[in-house]
Amino acid sequence: MKSTNSLHRSYAMAKFFTYFFLILGALIMIFPFVWMILTSSKTVPESMQIPPTILPEQWTLANFRDVLKSLPFGHLYWNTTLMVIFRVICAILFSSMAGYAFAKLKFRGKNLLFGIVLVQMSLPSQIFIIPQYQMVAKMGMANTIFALVFPGLVSAFGVFFLRQTYMSIPDEVGEAAYLDGCNQWQTFYKVMFPLTGTSVAALTIFTAVFAYGDLMWPQVVNSDVKMMTLSAGLATLKGQFATNFPVMMAGSLLAMLPMVILYLIFQRQFVEGIAGTGGK
Amino acid sequence: MKNKLSAAARREENWGWIMVAPTIIGLSILNLWPFVQTIYTSFCEHLGFGHYRFIGLKNYVDMFSNTEFWKATWNTVFFCILTVPVGVALALLVAILLNAKVKFKDGFRTIFFLPLVCAPAAVAMVWRWIFNGEYGILNQILGQNIQWITSSKTAIIAVAIVSVWSSIGYDAVLLLAGLQNIPKTLYEANSIDGAGKVRQFFTITLPMVSPTMFSVLIMRLMASMKVYDLIYMMADNTNPALGDLQSLMYLFYRSSFIAGDRGYGSAIVIWTVGLILLVTLIQFWGQKKWVTYDI
Amino acid sequence: MKRIPRMTAAALMLALLLSLAGCGSADGKTHLTFQIWDVAQRASMEAICDAYTAQHPDVAIEVQVTSWDEYWTKLEAAAESNTMPDIFWMHTNQILYYADFGMLADVTDLYDDVEPGYYQNHFSEISIGNASGSDGRMYGVPKDKDNIVLVYNKEMFDAAGVPYPDADWTWDDLTEASQKIYDATGKYGYMAYNEDHLGYWNFVYQAGGCILTEDKTRAGFDQPATRRAMDFYLGMQKNDWCPDQTYFAETQPGVAFFSEIGSMYLEGNWELMNKSTSYPNMTGKWDITYLPKCPDPASGDGRATMSNGLCYSTAAHGKRLDTVLDVLKFFGTEEAQNIASSYGAAISAYIGTEQPYFDAFEKAGYDLNLQVIEDQFDYSVQCVNNSARPKWKSPVLDELTKAYNGQSDLDTVLDNMQTIVDEATAAALSK
Repeated sequence: MKSTNSLHRSYAMAKFFTYFFLILGALIMIFPFVWMILTSSKTVPESMQIPPTILPEQWTLANFRDVLKSLPFGHLYWNTTLMVIFRVICAILFSSMAGYAFAKLKFRGKNLLFGIVLVQMSLPSQIFIIPQYQMVAKMGMANTIFALVFPGLVSAFGVFFLRQTYMSIPDEVGEAAYLDGCNQWQTFYKVMFPLTGTSVAALTIFTAVFAYGDLMWPQVVNSDVKMMTLSAGLATLKGQFATNFPVMMAGSLLAMLPMVILYLIFQRQFVEGIAGTGGK
Repeated sequence: MKNKLSAAARREENWGWIMVAPTIIGLSILNLWPFVQTIYTSFCEHLGFGHYRFIGLKNYVDMFSNTEFWKATWNTVFFCILTVPVGVALALLVAILLNAKVKFKDGFRTIFFLPLVCAPAAVAMVWRWIFNGEYGILNQILGQNIQWITSSKTAIIAVAIVSVWSSIGYDAVLLLAGLQNIPKTLYEANSIDGAGKVRQFFTITLPMVSPTMFSVLIMRLMASMKVYDLIYMMADNTNPALGDLQSLMYLFYRSSFIAGDRGYGSAIVIWTVGLILLVTLIQFWGQKKWVTYDI
Repeated sequence: MKRIPRMTAAALMLALLLSLAGCGSADGKTHLTFQIWDVAQRASMEAICDAYTAQHPDVAIEVQVTSWDEYWTKLEAAAESNTMPDIFWMHTNQILYYADFGMLADVTDLYDDVEPGYYQNHFSEISIGNASGSDGRMYGVPKDKDNIVLVYNKEMFDAAGVPYPDADWTWDDLTEASQKIYDATGKYGYMAYNEDHLGYWNFVYQAGGCILTEDKTRAGFDQPATRRAMDFYLGMQKNDWCPDQTYFAETQPGVAFFSEIGSMYLEGNWELMNKSTSYPNMTGKWDITYLPKCPDPASGDGRATMSNGLCYSTAAHGKRLDTVLDVLKFFGTEEAQNIASSYGAAISAYIGTEQPYFDAFEKAGYDLNLQVIEDQFDYSVQCVNNSARPKWKSPVLDELTKAYNGQSDLDTVLDNMQTIVDEATAAALSK
């Protein structure tokens, strides 16, 4: 048994190291973000200068003005928001059901069907672009919000991830619900699903970020910049030979805002762990 | 002879099918069908604009006899070795740190989240500057003149570093959820004295978070095997080290999108998918050794 | 549970979306889409559209910008499902692929009712060539013409006491000046990087060699003149005054030039306006001039510059072909081409519409010797292209990179490049 003094010491050490690594990590992570802010406040010559300068000679807001003029940010925010909301709803809805079924239910063909999920995860997304475009075009739904949502109507990774989560919930929970008179659906809906709150929150963030960052699909399927997402809209500022980096950085900062706010709201979901799992 | 299922088992089965139906139908139409098309086109020559001519195994023969292809295969595998173990381990460390009782927890979590939504152009620009052989910060700090991105030995390491940096955020978010799912009561029941924390990590934390770690591992592995965007952004196409950098998907992009050789590109895709599935199956088999689903 | 109100919200949104989806045009006009990849030219394209719709109020044209990286994937996907935009820019990199497959509308006879021989009268052979398919028919209305100029830093020349480059400059003057400037100022001379269009192609043709033979069936890397030029071009990096390729792989010559690290580089005239506006701090410090000529060409007078050009095209089976062809016809008129030139981003292809381009620079206060561009059209060479180019472009670059990083010697590399091009071309022609 250790003495109380050394106890406090090792506790303090742990605390110190925790803060040390957190701060170090934070500095490494925040670097490009800081770079974005600095670049967006520079003039083009300053931003392209070699050797690169760190601080702008003169801080300027002109780039923010320019990017707001060049792109219809209102539309971009709206499109991105709608696309993300729909993709997240679809992901949570369908992936929870499927994840639960794969984890807890017995049915024929289960492994084969789960294999389909794994295969989809292994495929590179570039092979989907032209076939999915043709599907959307045939439906006459090109250049719509639906088109933006289309590839995200189902989420194989969501299924995989939630399956892992459901597999960690002890079977006793389901059995207890069954004894209480629940059928399969009610067991899922009333008992199991609510237990996956943190995982669902993580999946939400994951799906949202992934959808937000996709710039190829929106540009291919939608033509009107008013129907683009933030990432795709910004990509149109990229020239064939040269890009106005300060303006692009300014635009990217404006585009990041909603995502950061979304995260700030959602990460509260990661509150201190779920106490007990019904084994009581 | 299969036993006839009892009524209850049949109900369970029906629910099972119903609940996976939307996802499976969606995946089949959106993703499986293009995959089947890709398999078919890998045996064809692309004549233009979606018209193909069947040529049997020629693409595969060409592919397997091409040294550049084998180099790319090795580059991809090596890239996975560089990024996956380190990446997942670091992400777990970050998740644990973000889960701890610290002040400004929200602030720290948001900072670690920022790289995920930073414009890829910005990320590439910064890292290219850091690694620049002539003016780069890294060289200035180390007092060296290493050609990070243009030298065969170091190019892939540089890109791997950027990859790990970009993906820590994603992985940590998922792992954090996994950590949060661990009931506090388990720690309380187990805690004898504070110094047992390290032991607690190995007896409680690690096993309880292993299902989530498995998800992250699989996902990270698949993503690294499919790496393309990062290489495209970090390396110019006149980069002398490109041969030691280009991944299978980079070759695929060159074939299908630049040269219009979609048949050959499809063959590369099939090969890559085969590799990924092989590695994934190995992981699924191996999970018995370290992943626990029930405590 | 909370799910029910959320589901109604979702249902409402769905309804909202579906209503947005069908948002068509109820104003009776014909709506056309016009797709381009350069956001810097949006204004000029909108201007020529406005000029057309002013005369045809029943038509509305919307200019849409897609970034270059995604433009071709998008166009090809659209081509496969016959949903191409009504009007779009076509580039020589892709025109043979699209035209030879019958994806583009044939516009050869577009002006026959107003002026037979319209194209021959008003556009150069190169412009017509850049808008033609392999069958010699035209598949786009020529939009612009460009060539490559030598950009130099006046201050560095002054500091080294070297007279500015002029029309009489030869390759020897280029290397001598580079050495002098480097010795005097420590700044790089001519920055010769691994690049075809803005690099060695020009030198090869100046020497009397060629990249592709006249009939475009074979490469010209086996010709002695070509080899001499390539040897000269790659050899420049061996000098102190030129950085080696590992430098250029990370830093473009243009960036180095405008950071005042190097004194000369080759640039396309299409970039001049952009560079002028982006680097106001450099105004007056730099100018452009003729490409140096080869002092001992195997044939010709030693002068050459690569000339490329875009064209306006439409789908062969588009829905509103008649209206679109009318618009394209207008885009090829002197009026439209003058308007386009006046924005300074590109010189329109129509002969005689160059002045507005020069005026644009003058109005903006940029004093460059733009006459050079016009003069160089006299000896410009059509940008290297054949139907197999997409296939041999990357392998040839990979091969040449080996020469730059010392993995292989130049002769072997050129032999390999020859084989690559010849085989790819033969395969393409036999299809």
